[in-house]
Amino acid sequence: MAVASAALSTPARMPRPGLGQRLRPFAVHAALAGIVIAGIAIGRDVPSWFDAHIQSKIDQAYHWTVINNTTHWLFTWVFSPISDTIRWSTEHVLSFLQILRWPGVLIVVGLLGHRTGGRNAAVVGVTVMSGCGFLGFWDHTMITLSLMLVSVAVALLIGIPLGIWSGLSLRAEKVMRSVLDTAQVMPLYVYILPLVVAFGIGDSTAVVATVIYAVPPAVRITSLGIRAVSETTTEVGTSFGCTGWQLLLKVRLPLARRPILLGVNQVIMMAFGIVVYASLIGTAGLGGDVLTGLQKVNVGMAFAPGLAIVFAAISLDRITTGQRDERSDVDVVPTQRQLLLRRPGVAVAAGFAVVAVVALVAKLLGLDHFPASLTIDVAKPVNQAADWVSRNFRKGVPVVGGTGSFSDFVVVNLLNPTRDVLQGVAWWLIVAVALAVGLVSGGWRLGALCAGCFVGIAALQVWDLAMDTFSQVLVAVTLSLLVAVPIGVLAARSDRVERALRPLLDVAQVMPAFVYLVPVIFLFNVGRVPGVVASVIYAIPPGIRLTTLGLRQVPFAPREAAISFGATPRQELVKVQLPLATRSMMLAVNQTIIMVLSIVVVAGLIGAGGLGLETIYGLAKKEIGRGTAAGLAIVLLAIVLDRVTQAWGNRSQLVTRSSRH
Amino acid sequence: MTDSAIEVRGLWKVYGPKAERLVDSPDADLPRAELEAKTGCVVAMRNISLDVAAGEVFVVMGLSGSGKSTLVRCLTRLIEPTAGTIRIGDSDVTGADREQLLAIRRHKVSMVFQHFGLLPHRTLIDNIAFGLEVQHVSKPERRAKAEAILDLVGLAGLGSRKPDQLSGGMQQRVGLARALATDPEILLFDEPFSALDPLIRRDMQDEIIRLRREVNKTMVFITHDLSEALRLGDRIAIMRDGQFVQVGTPEEVVGAPADEYVRNFVRDVPRSHVVAVDSVMLPPADSDYCGTVPVGTKVRDVVAEVAGSELPVRIVDANGVTVGSIDRVTVLAVIAGGDLVSAGQG
Repeated sequence: MAVASAALSTPARMPRPGLGQRLRPFAVHAALAGIVIAGIAIGRDVPSWFDAHIQSKIDQAYHWTVINNTTHWLFTWVFSPISDTIRWSTEHVLSFLQILRWPGVLIVVGLLGHRTGGRNAAVVGVTVMSGCGFLGFWDHTMITLSLMLVSVAVALLIGIPLGIWSGLSLRAEKVMRSVLDTAQVMPLYVYILPLVVAFGIGDSTAVVATVIYAVPPAVRITSLGIRAVSETTTEVGTSFGCTGWQLLLKVRLPLARRPILLGVNQVIMMAFGIVVYASLIGTAGLGGDVLTGLQKVNVGMAFAPGLAIVFAAISLDRITTGQRDERSDVDVVPTQRQLLLRRPGVAVAAGFAVVAVVALVAKLLGLDHFPASLTIDVAKPVNQAADWVSRNFRKGVPVVGGTGSFSDFVVVNLLNPTRDVLQGVAWWLIVAVALAVGLVSGGWRLGALCAGCFVGIAALQVWDLAMDTFSQVLVAVTLSLLVAVPIGVLAARSDRVERALRPLLDVAQVMPAFVYLVPVIFLFNVGRVPGVVASVIYAIPPGIRLTTLGLRQVPFAPREAAISFGATPRQELVKVQLPLATRSMMLAVNQTIIMVLSIVVVAGLIGAGGLGLETIYGLAKKEIGRGTAAGLAIVLLAIVLDRVTQAWGNRSQLVTRSSRH
Repeated sequence: MTDSAIEVRGLWKVYGPKAERLVDSPDADLPRAELEAKTGCVVAMRNISLDVAAGEVFVVMGLSGSGKSTLVRCLTRLIEPTAGTIRIGDSDVTGADREQLLAIRRHKVSMVFQHFGLLPHRTLIDNIAFGLEVQHVSKPERRAKAEAILDLVGLAGLGSRKPDQLSGGMQQRVGLARALATDPEILLFDEPFSALDPLIRRDMQDEIIRLRREVNKTMVFITHDLSEALRLGDRIAIMRDGQFVQVGTPEEVVGAPADEYVRNFVRDVPRSHVVAVDSVMLPPADSDYCGTVPVGTKVRDVVAEVAGSELPVRIVDANGVTVGSIDRVTVLAVIAGGDLVSAGQG
């Protein structure tokens, strides 16, 4: 029983301020203990009549589309034209990249890098991008790149104007925020299925899915950038007689340039994050290569294309995050040539000329493909290394016992008990607990929302799968926080630690989630544990970052006061910094949960089972109803976890605010 | 019409629901907290009327929250007034439509801001040319104009820098240059020097005095610094709780404070620096004089004369006609301040 209530209340155990609030859950626990006993005895399973028939309805809809997709106006006038346009664009972008040939593409990368980030960015961008070629995946990289470029362009074309609009109008922002909040917790695979129905299997679906996935950050960051332009500055514009357009073009947009460029960068990164998912719906390129490797549990085969994706991502990241210090080059008197090149039109024309010449030379020299003699086969050594690792690290490592033993420990002591509890008690009890947690965290409306989501999961008839996934999420989140928070605290207290961590965190930031799956499988084999470990690894960097950020943002004055009263560093941390950083810490918890959830489906690929596997199964076998039901269940879980942790964050904000008065 | 450069009548700014109902209502006289509890409204500015003559420097002085920034923003409707009329030259600001309002903002009035409000992404030249750019002046023309203005404010040769490479004082020179570039009839200053340190502030005040001689614009100057107000203002309006408490020349304000509030304000001002001899003078003396000064001389400038002699100082008008005298007792009374001043006058 103790195990039961402890496991159930894990989310409620997070640090929370306020004595009254701290006492309330205990009362709730006591009451719950009684209900738990009843819950184990009565009505464990979701009754079969409690079925919203979502699966069969979706299947029917799918069959209808299969029959009508050449005749109905919705397809002939809406979906098919969109999908044709996208296909046309990706094909042409790809053939353009092929016309440039690899030297031309590298030159473009170099020039863009030089323009945004100076020589350094150019060198890194080109080197890393050519890594894709050395791995022997240049052509596939170009396929992926063409898909991405089209997606990114469309996402920006939609996202930036929407962002500007929501930055200017409060009402637009309100509407958009509610949409974006939902989109943020909505994992890609949930809307991939309906998209498959609408656009069919292939590139166009992948592009549309990527666009949907990448538009929210573009809108958000643009809007934030526009809003960040201070009112005093816009007032200056108005006072000199700017019209609304002049104010936007001459004041707001130039001042928001940096955040908007950051948005572009984010959109590119988001798009890279989902190339593997996109391959689930039949797109070629690097994602497909990784997927094949994963499905065959061939580490080497998945590793090389995975590495190529990482290379491409890092390269694009470098050439789109221009951090060139504009102050530094002013005091140096520019030469005539530099002045000429600084004029935007001239620079662009010169760039085009250089690219054209390089492409032409490459064509004349016949450099159609990345030279095979330069490629390095990494699959074989990686497989050997993997074998060696699994032979030597699985078992019998002194003290820690090896990854196999760790895996067993996690399964036996964490995953199984949690899952058994969640699946073992009556479903209505879980709903009741959700209601209670929501109630305590954020009041009646949140309670109702939480309970409603769980009832929804029951009605989708995927209860046991959902509880399996839920248990993995809980374990992964707990482990992530156990690792991330102490490291974050350490980094906040020591500049040296933070400096050492920063490059690691930066790299981790641009890594697509599935990349972690590959090395994790050769340490932990397939099953639930690699899924958990991969999501922990994926979720740790933002956890660390937000913890450090929160602690560092605590103003020095209260800390100085604590020190002057003779507080030890520990007391300073526990009594001043942590309480003042609660809001940011809660954001860390929230982000961790979202990150973990987003990797759940991919984990299904490597044997984690649960809802993730069900979604992929539905996709692979065209059992659209089954897949969608599982996907919807993930969304419902995500909404509950997101809203509850957000509520904690908001409440701790109230506490800190009122304590300041 | 009048020959005032700016004419304001019955100007109100009320924030809150159904704000216009409060204008001229008895409720508006309630204390702030009571009013907010009763109506949910806050009165930022009540029933302000003022006339600024062409070429005059009109200073509005008050503490933060007194409504002075609201007032200056209402003049070009950066903040929309709740009631009242504003006339600038021959244009009716309050009745202007969008186009007319833009024209007023572009050509007639420009403003210097407290935190400079420079656009960090533009060079100094492009910052100064901003107002012209908004008016669609061609690039070569506006650049040439901006270069000329840059010289005027003493920043020649720095035009290609970005604002963040300058000190605060230099940034505000750019702010000033930007306001001058459109060649407006009226300059509005919203606490332009309050973010600067005292020495720089004094420099900038001198700059204003110099500019005033050179370009002779009408200026409305907002400040919370009394000595700044006294140095720059032809007339000063003291503002409190959205109202003018007193409007007058520096010596009227210092010499004859309208109420306790103003009296507290000006208490520490050395009156002898502000009060002119003719405002405290005695009738022409029967005796000889130890010296002669023109009307408008500050009291402190006759201290040396009366200290070295028992005799009074003669005060003459512009035509050299003796209009009165000032003796040692009166000078001491002015220096000592308080009631003695009025005693001396009587």
